[in-house]
Amino acid sequence: MTAPAARVEPYQPVFVGAAKAKLDGIIARYPAKQGALLPALWMVQEARGWISDEAMAEVADVLETTPAQVKGVVTFYTMYHQHPVGRNFVQVCTTSCCNLCGAEDVVKALLAETGAKELGATSPDGKWTVIEVECLGACGFPTPILVNDDFIENVTPERVPELVRKYR
Amino acid sequence: MGYPQKPHPKETVVLSRYFGDPEAKTYQGWVKRGGYEALKKALAMDPAAVTEEVKASGLRGRGGAGFPTGLKWTFMPKEKKGPHYLCVNADESEPGTFKDREIMRWTPHALLEGTAIAAHAIRAEVAYIYIRGEFTEPWAVMTEALADANAARVFGNITIHLHRGAGAYICGEETALMNSIEGKRGNPRIKPPFPAVAGVFGKPTTINNVETLAAVPHIITRGSAWYKGLCLSSPKSTGTKLFSVCGHIQKPGNVEVTMGFPLKDVIYDMCGGMRPGRTLKACIPGGSSVPILTKEETERCLLDYEGVAEAGSLLGSGGVIVFDDSADMVYQIMRLAKFYAHESCAQCTQCREGTAWTTKILERILAGKGQLKDLDLLLDLSENMTGKTICVLSDSCATPVISGIKKFRSEFEDYITGKKRPVMVA
Amino acid sequence: MPDLVNLTIDDVPVSVPKGTLVIEAAKQAGVLVPHYCYHPGLPVAGVCRMCLVEIEKAPKLQIACATQVADGMVVRTRSSQARSGRTGVLELLLINHPLDCPICDQAGECELQDFTFQEGRAATRYSPTYPKRFNPVEDFGPDILYVPNRCILCTRCVRFMEDVAQEPVLNVSERGDRAFIGIYPDALLDHPWSGNVVDLCPVGSLLSKDFLHKARAWELDKTASVCTGCSQGCNVTLDLRDETVVRIRPRPNLEVNRYFICDHGRANYRWMNRGDRVEAPLVRVGGELKAVDWDEALERARTILSGAGGSAVALVSPKASTETLYLARKLLARFAWTGAFEVVMGEEAPLAGVPNLALRAERAPNAKGAELLGYTRDYGAALKAAERAAVVLVIDDPDAQFTTAGEVICLGTEVPTGAPLHRSGVVLPIANVAEEDGTFVNRDGRVQRYFQGRGAPAMARPGWWVLGQLTEAPPDSASAAFDALAAEVEAFRGMSYATLGLTGIRAGAGAGVPA
Repeated sequence: MTAPAARVEPYQPVFVGAAKAKLDGIIARYPAKQGALLPALWMVQEARGWISDEAMAEVADVLETTPAQVKGVVTFYTMYHQHPVGRNFVQVCTTSCCNLCGAEDVVKALLAETGAKELGATSPDGKWTVIEVECLGACGFPTPILVNDDFIENVTPERVPELVRKYR
Repeated sequence: MGYPQKPHPKETVVLSRYFGDPEAKTYQGWVKRGGYEALKKALAMDPAAVTEEVKASGLRGRGGAGFPTGLKWTFMPKEKKGPHYLCVNADESEPGTFKDREIMRWTPHALLEGTAIAAHAIRAEVAYIYIRGEFTEPWAVMTEALADANAARVFGNITIHLHRGAGAYICGEETALMNSIEGKRGNPRIKPPFPAVAGVFGKPTTINNVETLAAVPHIITRGSAWYKGLCLSSPKSTGTKLFSVCGHIQKPGNVEVTMGFPLKDVIYDMCGGMRPGRTLKACIPGGSSVPILTKEETERCLLDYEGVAEAGSLLGSGGVIVFDDSADMVYQIMRLAKFYAHESCAQCTQCREGTAWTTKILERILAGKGQLKDLDLLLDLSENMTGKTICVLSDSCATPVISGIKKFRSEFEDYITGKKRPVMVA
Repeated sequence: MPDLVNLTIDDVPVSVPKGTLVIEAAKQAGVLVPHYCYHPGLPVAGVCRMCLVEIEKAPKLQIACATQVADGMVVRTRSSQARSGRTGVLELLLINHPLDCPICDQAGECELQDFTFQEGRAATRYSPTYPKRFNPVEDFGPDILYVPNRCILCTRCVRFMEDVAQEPVLNVSERGDRAFIGIYPDALLDHPWSGNVVDLCPVGSLLSKDFLHKARAWELDKTASVCTGCSQGCNVTLDLRDETVVRIRPRPNLEVNRYFICDHGRANYRWMNRGDRVEAPLVRVGGELKAVDWDEALERARTILSGAGGSAVALVSPKASTETLYLARKLLARFAWTGAFEVVMGEEAPLAGVPNLALRAERAPNAKGAELLGYTRDYGAALKAAERAAVVLVIDDPDAQFTTAGEVICLGTEVPTGAPLHRSGVVLPIANVAEEDGTFVNRDGRVQRYFQGRGAPAMARPGWWVLGQLTEAPPDSASAAFDALAAEVEAFRGMSYATLGLTGIRAGAGAGVPA
């Protein structure tokens, strides 16, 4: 028996109602509409978890620019997700200062504990994606990590199991 | 010393006084601590007078370039023909640096106050504070502080907006920062035109670092003469600086010292020195983009712009990265090159291709497949990457490579000759 | 008179207006500063870093494309420092660039090849064990392919679409050495002027599907010509391979099309290679058209003309050269003559970023030229007049539909159908735009020369020659024909092939109209 064909949901706009009002308020802060592009993309990512091509087209339309320009911006900045990620998106700093203090061991521990196994891959239960990032600006508190918007300092391999438990 | 340590007796505590003090984050708490008095005073002064005061203090940009702040403010047009803008660079991403983050999360009102005073001095109606996307805690703290300050209507005609970055070290470069605020890719711009002529949205703009602006209210309240007097060595470097000490060190954290303070004391005294059984091997005194210092150079280095230059490096952002004898210099330099390769914006050929190639060569050396001529290749490549691009990210990648090979050549040779076993797979 | 600045470039003194870029000033000194991202038709980017030059008193090398001249500036483009800077750029461009030259269309007209040959390293230092960056070829739209592996990220294409076409459909995607030129997923590069990005691309990264693998650059003979697609009169270069036109590219003319042509004009060359040409002069013998030699055909035409009196009608193509049209009118001077033409119309498509440049609604190159010579657009009236005319002269209007009591003389490129086929007493084969010298007058009255790229097929001759042979004093060259025209028609006074040069002059220029 063949599986039913996947239903492609029609794209639902993000900027309606309260979200639109909020965006209008943000647009007013800049003398040109395009100034609101980074904030608008953050709003999309907060609402949907990632930024799809349709969302880029919607943002382009609302800010009166082109989808190509929006895509150029989305692909430039590493914090915008261009595809869905695990429920807990973990960013671990491994640049030199943290590297000197064992950041790579923290990465290994996280990959193992979360089940994600590989950098950038989502764990089988869909709850975790772990990536390495560049300097997070907390070099004095090695190793800092971001779990979604939570900035956690002084993570060591020993602390990893308790952390993963907390977020699971 | 910065949170979570207590201040060290040898520190000159000005900016870091309330680090770790939760009440100082609130508007009420800040006012109780004397906050916003400087702003009131400045708003009653002529903008040119505010600029003169800051100029006389000798304050220099704390983001890394060390350009005299008051002088920078005078570059704005004398005749105001339209809007002026102030951009605050809170994109702190230079490896080794974590001072602006502390200023924002512990003393947000200090930054807001300094921003408003600077905006007044350059006759800007609007100021954008560009906070890097990863700084979620400073963003939340600054958002709340801005709302409270606005409710108390302290800023007069000046409007301050927060703008969140999204993960790009290059947006810390002033022209790239402006492009990012405009909603574009964070590409640095060719200069001329200079920001004071045509900056964000094409209008005259000044860009200042967080730490620089946090010092401004103190200068207004206590006077330029006081600030100028805070000077231990070169008279061209005045005031205090937050040095972010990290790496192989017992007590990492921010220390605030008067300009000209010995780096040796910062490392061994204030920050607890080396880990047990370890000795200092190297130190990068100003964030990863400045030359690496050897142990000897580090121990005789005085921390001001001229002193560090004399020791063979640059003060930069003041991010002090400490390497002890267990550090693998080749690996760490490779990791830095990888950082720059990841952050390159892709405009200039030398940076786009050169940072990636540098990383590959270093990885090959670490994988035991390097040859002696690779060191010449790295030096030649680094020279090609220096002084030829729109911004200095390319030079910043070349710098640790050049100083690393020059001062730690034997570590590279050990990998090449096989004396040291490979630590990577090519 | 603009302020002039004096400086030296490679020891050659030059004097240029204030505000000139060093890279442009260098051209005056006869120096080409190697470059990629710079283009005079695009806003300055300064990203390729190839045009690094040494300027005395400047601490670092400067890019010539973004540095303005200053009095007393001393520029050295070939100092060892400048050259090593450029060698460095070339080396870095080649580390990920595939060695595709044997299969790359750009070979032979590739700026990466040219400058590497001139200033690059003989061999790479990039380890053979490193894989080169790889991205698959992308189809950007109707005619354009993008080969990311060859792209040097000069961003000329992005800047063209954004600033000149003003339809920002291309972007730079990703960052660092992962960057490539992107197009939004569902978008197409189908702007009517988008084909220019293929010319602008210094390497073989943006390619025309139409030209893909069709010819090698060094096999091409290049001829200066004028586009026949519409009345804008864009200057073009015809590229011919073995006498066949295989490509049209823009030729710079700052007064008309700057550096660009539209896609309609770009594709407008296949008709030049049509096989169904009139190949020999034909005369009607016993109801049938029979091939004869020129002497006999011209004799028949003379006979027709001398035996006719009264009125004559000329039905002409607005694609015929000014010289041809002039000689036709001269030929019919002793008749009460009417001359008319019909122009196919289409949608106008402007190039937003350039003033007064568009694919024009009138899809013919010489309507204005015809008008200046007394031809009208009232084709209907001419058809009516033809009914009673003693002679109808048809010039390159192969399917003209008319009835006439008189004789018909037909000059044609293509084999005629309709009335000219059935009624012509003589059919004379003529050359098309690729096969003769001539001029067109564009919609702004600009008289522009086009040049012969190949011989006309079989026995065909240029229209001016054919008609000239039927007049009292046949001109012996297109230039002489034009001189005769200039002497007689006020709008062309003072012009000659020599003064028209490669970029033309506006008609009536002598009367204070800018040239």
